[in-house]
Amino acid sequence: MSAKPGKIFIDNLWFNNPVLIQVLGICSTLAVTNNVRNTLVMTVGVSLATAFSSWTLSLMKDLIPRKVRMIVQVLVISFYVILIDILLRAYLPDASRQLGPYVGLIITNCIIMGRAEAFAAANKPLISFWDGLTSGIGYMAVLVAIALVRELLGFGSVLGFRVMPEGFVPWTIMITAPSAFFLVAMVMWLARNLQARREAAAKAAKAAKAAPKPAAGPSPAKA
Amino acid sequence: MKKKFDRENIAYVVVFSFVVCAVFVAGLAAANEATADRVRANREFASQAAVLDALGIAYADPAEAAGLYANAVRPIEGAVPRAYVAERPDGLHYAVEMTGAGLWGAITIVAAAGESLERLDGIQIIAQNETPGLGGRIDEPWFKEQFRGERIAGGRVRISAGAEAGGSGAKNPDDGLVDGVSGATRTSQAMELILAKAIARLAEVAGGGK
Repeated sequence: MSAKPGKIFIDNLWFNNPVLIQVLGICSTLAVTNNVRNTLVMTVGVSLATAFSSWTLSLMKDLIPRKVRMIVQVLVISFYVILIDILLRAYLPDASRQLGPYVGLIITNCIIMGRAEAFAAANKPLISFWDGLTSGIGYMAVLVAIALVRELLGFGSVLGFRVMPEGFVPWTIMITAPSAFFLVAMVMWLARNLQARREAAAKAAKAAKAAPKPAAGPSPAKA
Repeated sequence: MKKKFDRENIAYVVVFSFVVCAVFVAGLAAANEATADRVRANREFASQAAVLDALGIAYADPAEAAGLYANAVRPIEGAVPRAYVAERPDGLHYAVEMTGAGLWGAITIVAAAGESLERLDGIQIIAQNETPGLGGRIDEPWFKEQFRGERIAGGRVRISAGAEAGGSGAKNPDDGLVDGVSGATRTSQAMELILAKAIARLAEVAGGGK
């Protein structure tokens, strides 16, 4: 299983997107996406934590006994997340205060352990780092898209700048968690439909290429 | 794929787990130690800034805030929850911390007033976990600025529900009434109660209590 970096990137961003296809990390998708700024800080944190923990676990993979594999994964992941928390508290106290418990909750983000288990356990360190980073970017792309809609309709602003006209009445539901449920569902539906349509088209093209002889052969006989 | 050593050997598993834990925890301890001073300074600045904000003392940066705080504000020894006294040109002013239940979790505020307890100097929010965008808006400047110089009527300042006028707040400082946050009635009610407790506490502290 030695995939190319470009393919890993496209897979993690689209064909195997952690949120849309693997349906991981949904809790944070619901929790932080009513505000683009917090979403960005959170998803950058997840990307870095995934990248570095995948890299570290891949470096250690030949030393880890299978019995304690998951314990070690959790240890490494929490190491990086707590490190991020410490750095935020020291250098970005305002962001740290606003994000509150969300940073610590990165530890429980299933994407990180998912990549550690599915990719880093069987691949070289650098490519594992890349896989973790791009998984995080795939997660970020979906969350930021949802956060843009929620902040725009819920607050009338983007990144804190007011963009809606004066008379705009904010949609309160966009601020609360339920809106994330149906927005995530809509984005998933859209993505899967697009992928299914493309897959069908690719299959049809393949069939059309391969088919002519067997298809052309028996049909006149039947007729 | 035979390895030189048996990874599943119980002794190796124990030693490995122990060493790995020790290494990573040591790393975190080092990071924590290295940033401890900075974090403490941040925290100190946050708490001093909250007291200065509540008292209505303006500052430009952390260094100035520390200087002003050292000059003007004195924590009252042994006061629980914390209380402060400040000497201003027009006499003694008091600031107190007060915690109470919000909608989701505790809300901690600092409230300040002059000795006569006729008007609030102002309030500042230290900690809150209200819904971002709804109750969380109690931390927005327009909401907090309403309390600046607001008259205390009958030991409290009332917060009206659903009256918010486009995020500008109540302008009249003489009626002892400010605007609550639309869509966050419960948080607004909680704030009114916490503030009433804080005003009672201010009276206690101003009367020489702890």
